[in-house]
Amino acid sequence: MAVPEPAYVLGSNRIPFARSNGPYAKASNQDLLTAALDGLIDRTGIAGERLGEVAGGAVLKHSRDFNLTRESLLGTRIAAETPAYDVGQACGTGLETAILVANKIALGQIESGIACGTDTTSDAPIAVNDDLREILLEANSARSTLDRVRALARFRPGQLAPEIPRNSEPRTGLSMGEHTAIMAREWGIPRRSQDELATASHRHLAAAYDSGFEDDLVTPYLGLERDQNLRPDSTVDSLGKLKPAFGGEDGTMTAGNSTPLSDGAASVLLGTAGWAEGHGLTPLARFVDAETAAVDHVTAREGLLMAPAYAVPRLLARHGIGLRDFDLYEIHEAFAAQVLCTLAAWEDPVFCRERLGLDEPLGSIDREKLNVRGGSLAAGHPFAATGGRIVGNLAKLLHERGGGRGLISVCAAGGQGVVAILEA
Amino acid sequence: MPGGVRTLDRMPSLLPLYGRAGLAAVPGTGLLGRLPLVPGPRGRELPPEGLSVAGVATDASALAAYCRACGLTLRNEIPATWPHVLSFPLQMALMSAGSFPFPLIGLVHLDNEIVQRRPVGLGERLDLEVRATGLRPHPKGRAFSLLVRARVGGEDVWEERGTILHRGAGDPGAEPEAGPDPPGDDVPDSAEWRLPGDLGRRYAAVSGDRNPIHLHPLAARALGFPRPIAHGMWTKARALAQLEGRIPSAFRVAVSFRRPVLLPGTVRFAASARGRDLAFAVRGSGRERPLHLAGELSPPA
Repeated sequence: MAVPEPAYVLGSNRIPFARSNGPYAKASNQDLLTAALDGLIDRTGIAGERLGEVAGGAVLKHSRDFNLTRESLLGTRIAAETPAYDVGQACGTGLETAILVANKIALGQIESGIACGTDTTSDAPIAVNDDLREILLEANSARSTLDRVRALARFRPGQLAPEIPRNSEPRTGLSMGEHTAIMAREWGIPRRSQDELATASHRHLAAAYDSGFEDDLVTPYLGLERDQNLRPDSTVDSLGKLKPAFGGEDGTMTAGNSTPLSDGAASVLLGTAGWAEGHGLTPLARFVDAETAAVDHVTAREGLLMAPAYAVPRLLARHGIGLRDFDLYEIHEAFAAQVLCTLAAWEDPVFCRERLGLDEPLGSIDREKLNVRGGSLAAGHPFAATGGRIVGNLAKLLHERGGGRGLISVCAAGGQGVVAILEA
Repeated sequence: MPGGVRTLDRMPSLLPLYGRAGLAAVPGTGLLGRLPLVPGPRGRELPPEGLSVAGVATDASALAAYCRACGLTLRNEIPATWPHVLSFPLQMALMSAGSFPFPLIGLVHLDNEIVQRRPVGLGERLDLEVRATGLRPHPKGRAFSLLVRARVGGEDVWEERGTILHRGAGDPGAEPEAGPDPPGDDVPDSAEWRLPGDLGRRYAAVSGDRNPIHLHPLAARALGFPRPIAHGMWTKARALAQLEGRIPSAFRVAVSFRRPVLLPGTVRFAASARGRDLAFAVRGSGRERPLHLAGELSPPA
């Protein structure tokens, strides 16, 4: 019988995140993920090792990438006998892979594994128009030449218009930004607060690079050494000049306080303490627990990106701790407004009572502990890569301070939220 | 490498070289020798001088397209076959010179050996040097070696040696060139490559190697092939892509091109360990399994 053992974060690596159609424009998801894994293998010295598993994923995937993680792994120096699988939970994918690997480790099913994710909005899959697809499928399955000709005769040039993936919710037709703009209005999040959060994100990430903090978290790729979106000189004044991008003319959300479309990949090595010792690795932080939640955004009962606000209190209750019992908070900055709506909800007695069923509000957090080495607004947000970036970042922070507890919160499309606790 | 070397300011442009090579291939153009820009009479010996260009950079987009065409992953380290592509204009310049003993069109690539001394980073600038040497008799004509060397700041990082055949009156007594042995017939094929008819054009676009035998059925037929044939260096790169993840950081990879791969077509790949080496082969998919390429991956000498 396998003995349950805690899972530890042992190391991480990501490539710098690039803006869409930037330096990684010609690289595929498999190229990006392989690059992130290459760096992790070099850093942790696991070349030739057979690991328990590799879980990975991408949000925007070509049909040829049905086995993206396994195919990427096969191009690396990890033993080919390591199994792998793809995971998909929108922007929660990266953190979900870490949960899956950590759970298997904790159950004693595996001793080690890699959690990873990648996304490219440059090399995004473009599908043929649905009408054309039907014609081609029919022509392909036609039994006679005449049937084939009949099928193909239905072709009209207008059907050449491709289906380009859109950053919109299938059931509402609204983009994620438009959904968040509704939330921002509901919670009355001012423009200035959003710009302040964005400025802090850039400032913190720039400082992290300057101090060398990112040196063992990031490996340059294709000549890019830092996240391309990083603007160390961003100020509340400079961001204040941008026009609203979502929420109409009087909207508060801009290109400056929303994450840009980006390309990148990230990976995290997890394992038991014993496996770490056998491989000369230091456990950085324990992967304590995780929770996922979902909300009904379709009937507008809740805002699209509010699910983490529900996931966190359930996770806290399971551990008998409060929102303030953390030394560090990593809240994915999909939009500055998403972070601020979540924080506002936890402070709001009505929301906490009526929606979360709590007698007392969760309260406010010390903003000095939030995203202390920057967040997605500065780094960029290649959807499935963000979880790995945050887990690697937080594990290192907790290890460096010699102990502590950290909270991770990631919102995802489809009204979902993935949250986790790390401890060192 | 012995002999002098002529250093060019920049990588020569391929287009005029093709013009020169094409013109030189037309019989009777010797009469035009007195006109400017037209090559003079052919020499009897290989040029003693090599050609070099310093500080050649890799364009990431060009490499990405090359990787896509060959099935390679776009990494921080360049593929071992990439310096061949980088140095290709130099090779062309050397072999299309009017004094070169053979016309460029019609030369046949018999084998190719690459030694990677260490992984070469995408951002590293390469000093490339090309030289033709070792003119020798061959059962089917005359052969010579084309040597390419890549250095980074004086450090040898990569070398290539190709054997090139000029078909003609052969010397039946000449020693056949020894190449790597393929894995045994009992080694099962592990992969199948379905090669599209435009593969030659695709590889030409990413490598600059626009030899007409790869491009179009008519051109191929004019040069004695029933259909266009795959570039040998594509086949080699594709084989290395097949071995991705099993390639050490320093290695030697030698292949001999035994039989052209006709396009479109389907071929199969097999590999097996042989001591410290890895033997691999590309064979036809029919029952006869004709051998197209035999290769060997080994530690660097």
